[in-house]
Amino acid sequence: MFIHNFKYAFKTLFSNKMLIFWTFAFPIILGTFFSMAFSNIENSEKMKPVDIAIVNNHDFEFGLYKEPFKMLSDKNSDEKIFNIKYVDNEAKAKKLLEKNDVSGYLLLKDNTPKIVVNKNGFDETIFKYAVEEIGSYIKMTKTIGDKKISERLNETGRVNTIYQYVYLGVTKRIADYKANIKDVSRSNLSYTMIEFYTLIAMACLYGGILGMVSINNVLPNMSSNGKRVSVSPTSKLKLILSSTFASYAVQLIGLLLLFLYTIFVLKVDYGNNLPLIILLSLAGSLAGLSLGVFVSCVFKTSENNKTGFIIAFTMLGCFLSGMMGITMKYIIDKNVPIINKINPVSMITDGFYSLYYYDTTDRFFFNLVSLLIFSGLLISISIISLRRQKYDSI
Amino acid sequence: MTVFKTFLKVLNKCKVPIIIYTVMLVFFSAFNMQTSEKNISFADSKPNILIVNKEANKDKITKNFINYLSKNSNEVNVSMNEEKIDDALFYRDVSYVIYVPKNFGKDVLHGKNPEIKIKSTKDYGASLANMMVERYLKVANVYSDVTDNEDELVTLIDDTLSKKVKVNLTTKLDTKLIEKAAFYHNFLNYCILAGTIYVICLVLSSFKEENIKKRTIVSSMSHKNYNRILLLSNALFAFILWIFYCILAFILMDKIMFSTHGLIFIINSFIFTICALTLAFLIANLVSNKNAVNGIVNVVALGSSFLCGAFVPTSMLPDFVLKIAHILPSYWFIKTNEMLKEMEVFTFDTLKPILTNMFIVICFSIIFIIITNVFSSKKRHNK
Amino acid sequence: MKNVIEVKGLTKKYKELKAADNLSFEVKEGEILGLLGPNGSGKSTTINCLLSLLNFNNGSIKIFNEEMHPNAYDIKRKIGVVFQDVAVFEELNVYDNIDYFCGLYINDKRKRKKCIEEAVKLVGLEDFKKFYPKQLSGGLLRRLNIACGIAHKPKLIILDEPTVAVDPQSRNNILDGIKKLRDDGATIIYTTHYMEEVEILCDRIIILDKGKVIASGTSSELKNLASSKEKIVVEIMNLDKKHLKEINTLKNVKQVIYKDGNLTITYDKGKNNIVDLMSYFKKEEITYNNIFVMRPTLNDVFLELTGKELRD
Repeated sequence: MFIHNFKYAFKTLFSNKMLIFWTFAFPIILGTFFSMAFSNIENSEKMKPVDIAIVNNHDFEFGLYKEPFKMLSDKNSDEKIFNIKYVDNEAKAKKLLEKNDVSGYLLLKDNTPKIVVNKNGFDETIFKYAVEEIGSYIKMTKTIGDKKISERLNETGRVNTIYQYVYLGVTKRIADYKANIKDVSRSNLSYTMIEFYTLIAMACLYGGILGMVSINNVLPNMSSNGKRVSVSPTSKLKLILSSTFASYAVQLIGLLLLFLYTIFVLKVDYGNNLPLIILLSLAGSLAGLSLGVFVSCVFKTSENNKTGFIIAFTMLGCFLSGMMGITMKYIIDKNVPIINKINPVSMITDGFYSLYYYDTTDRFFFNLVSLLIFSGLLISISIISLRRQKYDSI
Repeated sequence: MTVFKTFLKVLNKCKVPIIIYTVMLVFFSAFNMQTSEKNISFADSKPNILIVNKEANKDKITKNFINYLSKNSNEVNVSMNEEKIDDALFYRDVSYVIYVPKNFGKDVLHGKNPEIKIKSTKDYGASLANMMVERYLKVANVYSDVTDNEDELVTLIDDTLSKKVKVNLTTKLDTKLIEKAAFYHNFLNYCILAGTIYVICLVLSSFKEENIKKRTIVSSMSHKNYNRILLLSNALFAFILWIFYCILAFILMDKIMFSTHGLIFIINSFIFTICALTLAFLIANLVSNKNAVNGIVNVVALGSSFLCGAFVPTSMLPDFVLKIAHILPSYWFIKTNEMLKEMEVFTFDTLKPILTNMFIVICFSIIFIIITNVFSSKKRHNK
Repeated sequence: MKNVIEVKGLTKKYKELKAADNLSFEVKEGEILGLLGPNGSGKSTTINCLLSLLNFNNGSIKIFNEEMHPNAYDIKRKIGVVFQDVAVFEELNVYDNIDYFCGLYINDKRKRKKCIEEAVKLVGLEDFKKFYPKQLSGGLLRRLNIACGIAHKPKLIILDEPTVAVDPQSRNNILDGIKKLRDDGATIIYTTHYMEEVEILCDRIIILDKGKVIASGTSSELKNLASSKEKIVVEIMNLDKKHLKEINTLKNVKQVIYKDGNLTITYDKGKNNIVDLMSYFKKEEITYNNIFVMRPTLNDVFLELTGKELRD
């Protein structure tokens, strides 16, 4: 009996084209869109060489700014910051700026630098920083050089050193200095992964629709099919269990497809801990399933309304855990953490996130346990409402 | 009149999704408009950073270092817990975290080169912050060669780092406001597409349902007339939707909408609405299953929005995606909005590319109409 | 004959409304019992109570001599139900639908297969086994609905308005099928508000109104309750007052109306009053065109008992 019902529940779900579209195809399509739209975001946020123009006048040609800029635009250096266009006069530089070919240009007049830019932004700020930095090194060279010369003057009473060597020495010292900075950030920093984690979470919870539909089919107060089923000599518990398992199985097949697609086609990174990834997926689907069972048993309304409720609940959850703007999850986590502690979408998302980003598993298990509690709670309520065998009205 | 009334009744049933699209539009536009200040002079873009161990070190050099960093960046408020810091870094709340080491001041003063631990997102802000830190360390370290006096070192450093360069800003445009208007109109791509396709497909599929169709065919109203009223009703709906979104634009961004920019934004969205209308007719002709409408709306509207840069700015999209996007009308609609962002003078020459875009959108509409006609006449012949 | 169902004092209230009001009746083995009543008279509620789907406020229900309750699987196994609403899976074809529901009763695959084939044959869906419900016409869909309910060869079959909105051909097919089921030994409860069906089909009829049994018996027993027993309508061109008066004095005549060339005579007794009338016409040499004899219908009975028509 169990297997008979299981087989048909499975078959029914798989033949429901709309259901399969929303639970199987839609996450895959959405994932494709995500991947197309977001694949470049992080690269575009990395610093790229800034296009600038420099007026190559006398002041620049024979001044102290020439060498440093040459270094900063050197193709072979990994410190390359600028793509420089040298122009003869300011009018030409202005023209380049107007056409948006460059972010700004530099004009040296009486050894004082002047920068002209179109707008505020990171490129412009970096340009300004670089010029200021060169300015401060020039200043530093002068200060230290002067100081050393005067010291020597005080010590020996005469100046027999060639000034140039003193200044060159300082310049070399400045150029040779390497700051001792050690980057200790975690390696997996790709935040667009969150989009895909919310996608998986969405698929898990959408799976609840499958559970809802198949349980609706065996409940007499929900559908006419259910009426027919419940006058048969089969125990209700057995039927519900087997329908539930059938929808869980369908759900997991869909999730597996989504995983395979995101891993092999979209190259999503879920971290390396495969057993925990599987565990989380099972728990996430269980949360979706329990939501479906809950909605199916507790609310007495049309199937369309129930589907609408599950979709609305899921989308709200997705919104709060960052599907429509990754920052949203962080804002909630930071300011009202309780919301995402009871939001199953966030539990799944955060679980994947902690597997991807952290080496420790505390946070992961917290999320996993939260999911199980969420599922357990909903299932208990459903069981209480299911214990009723007869109904006051159908 | 009866046809139109029925149309309104069916329309009434579709109001929920339209409301959802609109709420999303308002929400995201408002979200994106939070920091709207007009900038006339140049302002540095400040990276978001976090300084750890601020309290532990009280010596002058450390204080000076921290002071320098906080002056040139936005310090973000994150609780000092390694996990919270890592979260903040991951979600780009903070681009750069600096751990000020113990004995920093002493080490610098004695010419040692202390190791500074940092965490970085490696984005623009992080690069900027890194430049800042490196510069400070370089200046402090090199100066420590010539002095052993804490106060003197601090003065020397301050003196050097306070050197500022004059920056001239050429634009007179209120770029931020225009960017916001462009964002709004880019997002409109989704609302208009989803709204018109959803409603028109649903309405037409209701009217086209076998039994209703039979009934209208046998009614005294001429078939041509009937179809004309139906088409007009749909066009009217799209028009009202467009007006609605225009009014919303005026409410959300009043000043900019009363300029030439605003006018072009509005013309552009009008032309796009027409295109969405023709596309909706085409889809309604191809699909008669009511259940399928929902799926198709999502795929078409979300697809063109993601691929053409309605949600993610076009500058951040990969090249191959933009190449694909050329075959979608949304691309040209959004391209116009993006061009407007950087347009200062309006002459025939500067407007030429924008007019080209609009022309292409109109061509799309004509193509959609032709395909619709070919398809529906084929359908009729088959019957 | 044994009683298959015994209902005693069944009362079911929906808030103020009494859908079943102290109902008592029994169903005997091998009979077709018709539950007749207008819409909202409590037929479906009674059936749902019988099947333990609904709670009821009072009364007892025994099926096959045992108290009915939701876990009475041995009883349930012997019952087949065809509900008013078509209850089939859109996603499954005709064969699979029957297989699914039948499978809830019969585990043995081979046995089930035989049952399904027989059910398909009974309702005449042999050519549609691979069709999906969407592709079936209204009548065929009803037939599938019935096949799903009776494929497991139940001893007791409950049919709740199985012929609502069904074309005449399908209806005849369904009614023939039901008779055949009875001939094969099943006991049948049949609810409907079509009195013609009940008259053709049912051995015994219970008339319900407002949750109460207002009459029961065989079709002819019920008709005897009607105050008029026979009605004769004759088309006569010319009839003078003298004849009219004489007809009024004929045996059993209750009322005579002559209007627009139609003579309508109502009798309060007897069945073959036409013999007297014809001989009278012959004697008086009255010529007539057409003559119809009409027996009272269940609708007339219902009208007299409740003051309203069965179908409003």
